[in-house]
Amino acid sequence: MKKHTLRIILSVTLVAAVMCGCAKKPASVVVDPSGEPVVSTMPSEDVAGYGNGSMSDQATGDGSGYGMGTMGDGTVAGLNRIFFEFDQFTLTPEARDILAKNAEYMKANTGLRVRIEGHCDERGSDEYNLALGERRASATKNYMVSLGVDSDRLTIISYGEEMPLDPGRSESAWSQNRRAEFKDAR
Amino acid sequence: MKTLSRLITAVVTLAGIWTSPAFAQIEISAPGQQAIPLALTRFLPLDGVVRPQLAEDLNQVLEADLDLSGLFTLVDPESFLGDANRLGLSSVEVDFGQWRLLRADALIKGGYAVQGDQLTLEARLYDVVGRRQLAGRRYIGKVSDLRRMGHTFSDQILKSMTGEAGPFNTRIAYISNRTGHKELYLMEVDGHNPVRITDHRSIVLNPDFSPRGKELIFTSYKASNPDIYRKETYSGREAKVSAQKGLNIAARYRPDGQEIALTLSRDGNSELYLIGTGGTIHKRLTDAWGIDVDPTWNPNGDQIAFVSDRQGNPHIFILDVVTGQVRRLTKDGKYNATPAWNPKGDRIAFSRLEGGRFDIFTINPDGSDERRLTFGPGNKEHARWSHDSRFLVYSSDEDGKRGIYIMRADGSGSRRVSPAGGDCSHPAWSNEW
Repeated sequence: MKKHTLRIILSVTLVAAVMCGCAKKPASVVVDPSGEPVVSTMPSEDVAGYGNGSMSDQATGDGSGYGMGTMGDGTVAGLNRIFFEFDQFTLTPEARDILAKNAEYMKANTGLRVRIEGHCDERGSDEYNLALGERRASATKNYMVSLGVDSDRLTIISYGEEMPLDPGRSESAWSQNRRAEFKDAR
Repeated sequence: MKTLSRLITAVVTLAGIWTSPAFAQIEISAPGQQAIPLALTRFLPLDGVVRPQLAEDLNQVLEADLDLSGLFTLVDPESFLGDANRLGLSSVEVDFGQWRLLRADALIKGGYAVQGDQLTLEARLYDVVGRRQLAGRRYIGKVSDLRRMGHTFSDQILKSMTGEAGPFNTRIAYISNRTGHKELYLMEVDGHNPVRITDHRSIVLNPDFSPRGKELIFTSYKASNPDIYRKETYSGREAKVSAQKGLNIAARYRPDGQEIALTLSRDGNSELYLIGTGGTIHKRLTDAWGIDVDPTWNPNGDQIAFVSDRQGNPHIFILDVVTGQVRRLTKDGKYNATPAWNPKGDRIAFSRLEGGRFDIFTINPDGSDERRLTFGPGNKEHARWSHDSRFLVYSSDEDGKRGIYIMRADGSGSRRVSPAGGDCSHPAWSNEW
């Protein structure tokens, strides 16, 4: 080990490291003319929570007061959920029967405003399921509107596969999860 | 935000670039094919103070990385002779004859010293046959940086052996529900040091790393709609990027980091759009009946593979961003999803539902040479590439709970990396960290 050379290089490195301490990438600082040692600085470990043993856990709040805990409540008693086939958003005859009753309930309760949530089972691309859930909610809304419910009273949102009714991993669980729900949006 | 104490690490590369023709032959695109016998010795104290735990931890980091690389077979440490216990690190001090006797072609030796909370690590890689040092690095930092130093040396070992650095000093972002809510986490490639970086207490989904910095974009229902947010991991700063009516999902930075492809449903149907990093809509990319989601960029940033059901079942299509032309990529299967174009540009990974289960496949961008990578129980989805295109990270529920796994690009060497507790999914792999 060439201690003398090394000491010089290390002190150069320290000075350079202080100067370019904000560098994101390792920066080559010195190339020894003899072609031997190459000195470089490494970036600091600047992920919150790495390197200092503590983690940043800033309270960003929810902003909406609308967390998982309150979801699942707010279901309107007179409105029943409907179910779909795998990768489908077409309404089954059973679903149409339920929606007809839901539409009558909406027309009888004119103050009611409803958010239709589209859901999927867990299989498949999460993003595809978000889009599929939106289509289910949209198909549901459109049918209700065709039955005479004012479209302004119905909003839609998709939760994709994120909020299963049954967390199980079987066809019986999945069939429960492919659904549209009606939530009080007043 | 707490200011982090700055680590200053000096790395000293000794001796010029190696030029061993034997190692120059290694085929980097086929990991696992030509394993090199490598002896990984336990690092020794430079100052005489033995720290068994430190040496053990470092050994585990290096061993796991080298094993995952598939480039090496490790020589049994039980067979090591006297040189394994001698500190002499210069190539004239190493007894290469002993290592040849054990049929090792490559050798790793090193030493450590701790002063207060400062750690110095000397790490060397030798070509046993050529009796020369291939890589020599000195790392100086905090004791808590030990694992990072190990991963960085693993990257260096791959660079010395193949000309291309490994992806071990990187981060994997993923979604976990261990708090009861789906939140965004970061961990090291081997699952160590998981850190939660969102506190939305809602639903956080599908992260993507900025190619240019330590920040991520992701979907969150924080404001009661699936919107896109951006978060700086170093400052904790967060901003809403896209909050159009309806879906704002599946956002992916273009490889130059200047624009983002994503799915919006603002016009009543889910379509792909191009937005600026501030959220301004630049261009609508698709106009088709059906669902268009899950964009992934080619390395040039002029083509996007994505999922669409425009021809019936969900399949992978490729869009030419300039001409707007779309062609179908996958022909087989009834449900293909979550494509990921590799950074080299020559393979696209995706998952296919077959026999009730999802498995991961790869295919050439021209539709040829489709290969199935995963088998056995469970669903494997959400594959993403390492920056060197050597490895894939993905989610699997083969153990009952969803976890994050890593395998080589040919499907070999799969292993669970995510920590226990909660379901983990939707990994994303950072560039060099």
